Amino acid sequence: MRVAFVGKGGAGKSAIAGALARLLARDGEDILAVDSDPMPGLSVSLGLGVVDAAIPWDAVEEKAEGEPGPRFRLRRGLTATEALDRYAVTAPDGVRFLQFGKTRASGAPLMRSQWAFRQILDGLPPESPTIIGDLPGGTRQPFFGWAGYADTVVVVVPPTSAGLLSARRLAKLASTEDATAAPGRIVAVVSQARDDDAERVRQRTGLDVIGSVPWDDRVLAAERDGHSVLDAAPDSPAAAAVAALADRLVERRTATALADRRGGA
Amino acid sequence: MKLAVVGKGGVGKTTTAAVLARTLARGGATVVALDCDTNPNLGISLGIGDTETERLIGLRQSLDDGTQEHAPSWASLVDVFGSDAPDGVRLAVVSAIDKPEPGCPCCGLSPEQLLRTVAFDQQTVVADFEAGTGTLTRLEEGAVDVVVLVVVPTAKSVEVARRAAELVAEKRLGRLVVLGNQVRDDADLALLATAFPEADVVCVPYDERIADADRQGLAPLDLAPDADGVRAIAALAGSLAAPA
Repeated sequence: MRVAFVGKGGAGKSAIAGALARLLARDGEDILAVDSDPMPGLSVSLGLGVVDAAIPWDAVEEKAEGEPGPRFRLRRGLTATEALDRYAVTAPDGVRFLQFGKTRASGAPLMRSQWAFRQILDGLPPESPTIIGDLPGGTRQPFFGWAGYADTVVVVVPPTSAGLLSARRLAKLASTEDATAAPGRIVAVVSQARDDDAERVRQRTGLDVIGSVPWDDRVLAAERDGHSVLDAAPDSPAAAAVAALADRLVERRTATALADRRGGA
Repeated sequence: MKLAVVGKGGVGKTTTAAVLARTLARGGATVVALDCDTNPNLGISLGIGDTETERLIGLRQSLDDGTQEHAPSWASLVDVFGSDAPDGVRLAVVSAIDKPEPGCPCCGLSPEQLLRTVAFDQQTVVADFEAGTGTLTRLEEGAVDVVVLVVVPTAKSVEVARRAAELVAEKRLGRLVVLGNQVRDDADLALLATAFPEADVVCVPYDERIADADRQGLAPLDLAPDADGVRAIAALAGSLAAPA
């Protein structure tokens, strides 16, 4: 299972992705949580606080002129799996966490680290680990290949006019970008949900809504203090909603695997 | 005067930019509101509705697929990729597109280049920036006069805002105003005061009526002009417009 979270800035992508990663890990899955936002976010929601770890620039090397493919590749002798062992940070519940690095006012440019990040994701074996990815907010990055690893793209939709508009744009962009994608690859999760929001999001975006996460004071307090909702409010409706989302994603994987087997037979 | 509104995604940049723009216009300024976000939503908060906002987004996208003619000048950009918003504000969507033509005023100049090169004369410019610090890293001294840094009392937003504040200071990008948005209680206030000990944080209380406006796709100034949160942002507009 490889899931990428997209959506408007501040929708709650990191909060949901971080809790989801840890809940899946508690069920014994090998989980890799990846953050492709140059601003901090997912590490905080995993319960790690702000992490300054970065993939070093020399994890990649420039290809010789005339060699096909992208300009950089992982350093000779470094496989994607080894790179992960070396550069990932361990988060609570045994989740491994990988980011390319974070933008600082006067920090080193991240271009080579970003290449390394992409090459590691591309080079991992197809079945394991399970990947939960957090993309930057807005409608820009997903379509430059950053969600290429994902078999499921979750659009996180806060039930505001701007949130719905962003979700419609993301759904449209994702379908034009990748016309060969399996139907159902793009789904929605409602964040900051109240009452009948799930139905409203379904109607206004045309997306299958596979989860609905209510926000309450305890989620706000967790966000203020920089904690995972799983640690700050494990018995909150929000935590329960993410657990239900985890179940739903696992069901979808099982259903897809069964369909594939039937199709193959 | 040129104002940039920056901060993490979802902290209320667009709401802030919209209330500032309309309040400045009510005070007599000629205001251009620039939507610099690649996911442009400023129209909704200004009060032109989501249909018109979506139409403007569509125009930008049509540049990419070649069905929309380019605007040859700044004036025609504002004309073609803009819309009249309430209180006499002119909204222009200048967000980056996928396939810009280098040097073209309507797509080949980044928002930060536009802010630097266009002669705005007597116009007041309120620029709603893309989330994060990307645009700030490319902005040059003199491109804007005031940076309004919007921060909500969450660990992540504070972290982004501190990085943004460092950039503003290091690159001398103008006067920095820290706007603490969605403040609910003393714990929220304490977090912001600790994070920005040097700054005089403008405090905007959390207001359910602003959230209602966002849900309904209406301008907070139209739905709830008396809301405490709206008044606090309007008061900031007043102090920015007053001569220093």
